Order: sequence, then structure tokens, then C-alpha cells
Amino acid sequence: MTTTSSTSRGGAVARVIVGRTFLWAWLLVGLVPLLFMFITSIKPAGIANQIPPAWIFPPTLDNYASVLSAGGGKSESFGQLLTNSAIVSLGATALAIVVGVPAAYALTMRDFRARKGLSSWILSTYMFPPIVAVIPVFVFAGKLGLMDTYPALIIPYAAFNLPIVVWILRSSILQLPYEIQEAAMVDGASTWDVLRRIIWPLLVPSVATAAVLTIVLSWNEFLFALSLTRSGAKTAPVGLQQFTGMYGTDWGNITAAATLIVAPILVLMVVLRRQMVAGLTFGAVK
Amino acid sequence: MKATAAPLDATLTVDASRRAAGRATAGPRDRKPLTWKKRSTPWVYMAPAMFVLLLMTVAPAIFIFYSAFRNDKILGGVGKFVGLDNFITAVTNASVQHAFLITFGFVAVAVILEMILGFALALPLAAQTRANKVGAALMLLPFAVTPAVAAMVFKQLLNPNYGWVGYYLGVFGFPNGIDLLGDPTSAWIVLVILDMWQWTPFVALILMAGLQSLPGEPREAAMVDGATSWQMFRHITFPAMVPFIAIAAVLRTIQAFKTFDSFKILTGGGPGESTEIINLGIFRVGLQSFNVGLACALGVVFLIILSLLIPFMLRVIGRRSDPEEM
Repeated sequence: MTTTSSTSRGGAVARVIVGRTFLWAWLLVGLVPLLFMFITSIKPAGIANQIPPAWIFPPTLDNYASVLSAGGGKSESFGQLLTNSAIVSLGATALAIVVGVPAAYALTMRDFRARKGLSSWILSTYMFPPIVAVIPVFVFAGKLGLMDTYPALIIPYAAFNLPIVVWILRSSILQLPYEIQEAAMVDGASTWDVLRRIIWPLLVPSVATAAVLTIVLSWNEFLFALSLTRSGAKTAPVGLQQFTGMYGTDWGNITAAATLIVAPILVLMVVLRRQMVAGLTFGAVK
Repeated sequence: MKATAAPLDATLTVDASRRAAGRATAGPRDRKPLTWKKRSTPWVYMAPAMFVLLLMTVAPAIFIFYSAFRNDKILGGVGKFVGLDNFITAVTNASVQHAFLITFGFVAVAVILEMILGFALALPLAAQTRANKVGAALMLLPFAVTPAVAAMVFKQLLNPNYGWVGYYLGVFGFPNGIDLLGDPTSAWIVLVILDMWQWTPFVALILMAGLQSLPGEPREAAMVDGATSWQMFRHITFPAMVPFIAIAAVLRTIQAFKTFDSFKILTGGGPGESTEIINLGIFRVGLQSFNVGLACALGVVFLIILSLLIPFMLRVIGRRSDPEEM
């Protein structure tokens, strides 16, 4: 007995060591692309794409200054593209929250017969492939004169994030004790009062999670931004792809721009790690 | 139910009676037939969200179903009804068949590898140690990176002349200046690795949360009974993890079918058409060749295929998010 249990314990210890080694090897190798991006972005001009790669050099912020400065033969400054990205992401988030909160509330009303069907329908739109929507939206936007404008991105981004927003908020409202709502109704409160004075204050943390997720996913979007913008509303991820043409192969500038796109998102995601995973699984994993 | 009709100044009544009234209404389900106003209220709240969703999903779906039977070009004026021509082209065209085939191949390979590796990473990561807090944050990093940026960075790393990958492979004795994106097989491997780099963390974090939520008692009882760790994994941990595995697998499958950025940026479908998945195919036909009819026919086929995933999604997500409702 003792021998078998001690060998199985030995086997378990070995397994734990193998598991942890794999985990940390994965994490460290996974950092290489990000490390490459950041290190290259602070290399002085001329050595950014030197082979063998330079590891010892005086760090500089020149690349960031160069990327953010306007003019110099560039069609637009990268700062403008980042601004466009921010406007579109925040606009989409505002729209998604404004239409999503009342919808989520309606989907928790017990008298609302269609709530199950509608909840399922909203969830199922997550499956809708953006490539299928982009051609009609391209045609509509052209006919309505919305090509290369902020609304041409804001409305699709809000729509594609609505399933996540509505489901996060809906499950948060369902977790609130129903008696609070009922007591208020008994006192003569309207559904609007209930939403505004009772549910909204309790819902703020979930709204924040839903908002951050929508900001991140809109900020990261590429297909619609590539198809529907030319210059006026062009977002940073699309602009980055044209850097090879704009700057030759100045790796310092490209990686500086890449770092500027990624940095705000990384901070948001790491700070709100738990909520991000819960949100991206529609509240199914907490 | 009388209390419902009470005027607002009834708030002056003592708390106790209010609570009693609340309890009374919460009890039996003998509700009066709803007034029209009450019935319409939820629809009013729903309307804006439904409008946005109809505009961006149902309206495009109607458009593609309509355009799929026509030969409109974006720049070439109004086309005409052409019946099933576009679908016939879509089904019989060899490069379309190839595009669908490699899309399924990519989704299957990427999702299966990510599920296996994600589980292998979640097991050590689920132990609640201080090191693992750092580990979980590091785990999230690749998954947080803008996909278009990730593809761009990979492209630089793989650059045959200046990339780190080529150089350090050379140091270890591989041929110098290897162009991994220039050969179909290695281009595929790179695309799958990029997808795994970005998305395995998502799977791992879902499964980690799942493992941390499992109760400890069954494992402890099994350990007392002398079960080996493999037996415990096989008969206790794994069965309890099935719902989480299902969630991760379904979400990853849907996301993998939507993959566009990495292919567009890293290979653009090349070399040749070897990595032109259906998303790239529809983009090229519709927005670069402006053959709207054919692109819409491909879109219809793709949409129908993806719709088959809806029941799985409703099952694994809907039921878990709130068991009473679904």
C-alpha cells in the first residue's frame, strides 16, 4: 500500500513539474512578439532592422515622436488615426450601452412573453459573420453618403457588440433580488423609474465591464474599417498596414505605431482580466 | 393587487405594511389581464436595440439573399435577375470549393489544438498561487493584442531578410533567410501558430475559471479512497469540466470561422490561393472585383453553414448564463 501511494504521489509531483514548466515556457515564448515590438520601437534610427538584432543600444523615443508628428510627406499623422479609433470605439460603446440597457431590462420583465425568444435571437446574432454584413453595409453606406464617416463604423460596431452587452446586463439584472423592483412598483413607480432609480445604480459595474469590452473589440476591429474608410475616418489598425508604403520599411516607426495601438488595450484587459473572460463568454463563465 | 393602484402619496404608509403588500403581490400568480400599455412597455424598451440589430444583421441578410440571384456590380450600374447562376458558380468553381475546404480545415485544426493546449495550460494555472496571478495576467497579453497588429508583428518577425525568426533559426543551423510565408505548408503552420498564440489563452482562462469553480470534496474523497491522479482526472475533474469545454469550443469555433485579419495581413491568401479562406474569398470577389452577386451567393452559403452553430451556442451559453430562463 505505502509503496503504491508513494509512487503515485511521486508521479503526481512529476506531473505538476511538467505542467508548470510547460505553462511558464508558453508564457515566456508568448511574450517574444510583444518584446520584439517594444524593443524595436525604442531603437535609434538605422539599427531597428539590423541583423543580427542589436540588444544593447541607447533607448530613444524618436520613433514615437516621428509617428505622432504630422506632415513630413505623410498623408495623415498617426495621432489622427488614433483619434479616429478612439472616436469610433467610444461612439460605438455609447450607442451599444444606450440601446442595450433598456433592452436588457425588457428581457428580464416577467410579463414579457417574448423575452426568451428575443434573448436567444440576440445571442444568436453573435454568429453572424462580419464578412457577410460588410458588402451590404458597403453598398448602403455608399448610397447614403456615409462612406468614410464615423457612423459607418459606429453603427456596425455597436451592433456586433450588442449580444455581449445585452447578455452581460441581462444576467446582472436577473441576479438582483426581484423584490426590490416589485416593492417599488407597489409604491407606484413606473418601469422607467425602476430602471433609472433602482436598477441603473446597481448595474453600473456591469455596464462598465460591457463598455470596456465594447471599446476593446471596436478598437481592434479591422475588416469594416478597412472596407468602409479611406482617410477621413480611417482607424489606427488599418493605418498601420499602410506604414510599409508610407515610411518604406522603417521598422522603428512601424513598431512604435503598433505599440501605441496595443498599449491602452493591454492595460484595460489586464486590469479587468476576470470581467473580460466573463464578458466574452456572455456571463456563462464567472 | 389593490396596492398597485395606490396613489404615490401612499409612500407615507409605514414600512411594514408596504413590505406585506409586496409579499402579497409576489405570491400567487392570479394576475389581471395586462393592459395594452403594460404589454407594449417591454417592446418600447427593446425597440432601439432591435432596430440596430435588424439594421446590421437582418437587413444585410435580406440584401445578400436578394443580390445572390442578380448580377449587380458595385460600379457597373444596375444588373438583372440571373436565377441560380451565382450559386452554380459558387458550387462548381474549384477555387471556391478549395476556399470552403481550407476554412473548415483551419477551424478544425486551430480549435482542436487550442482546446488541448488550453486545457494543458489551465491545469497548472488553476492552482491559486501568487506566481499564477502573474501567470494569468501574462496569459492574457497575447489575447489582448489587436489582431491586425499581431499579424503585422508576426510578419516582421518572419521577414526573410531582417526577421528575428529567420536569423535565430539560422543560428541553430537552419538555412539562412528562410521565407516561411513563401511556401504553402509553412505559411499554413505560421497562420495556425499565430491563431494559437492569440486564442489559446482565451481557452486557458475559461478552463482555469472552470477548474477553480469545481468543488474540492469529490477529489478529496477520491484521494482518501486511494484514487490515482489520472483516475481523479478521468472520472471527476474531466466530467465536471465538460460544460466549460463546451463553452470554449463553441465560442472558439464561431470566432475561428470569422478569422480575417491574420490571413489578410500575413499572406493575403497566398502563396497562390493556398491560404485563401472563404472570408478572404468573399472580400476579394465582393470588394475588390466588385462582383456583388457572386460574393452574396458565397455569403448566403457561409451564413447558412454558420447558422448550424446557433443551437450549440444557445445550448451551452444560454443554459449556463441563467438556468431558469432558458
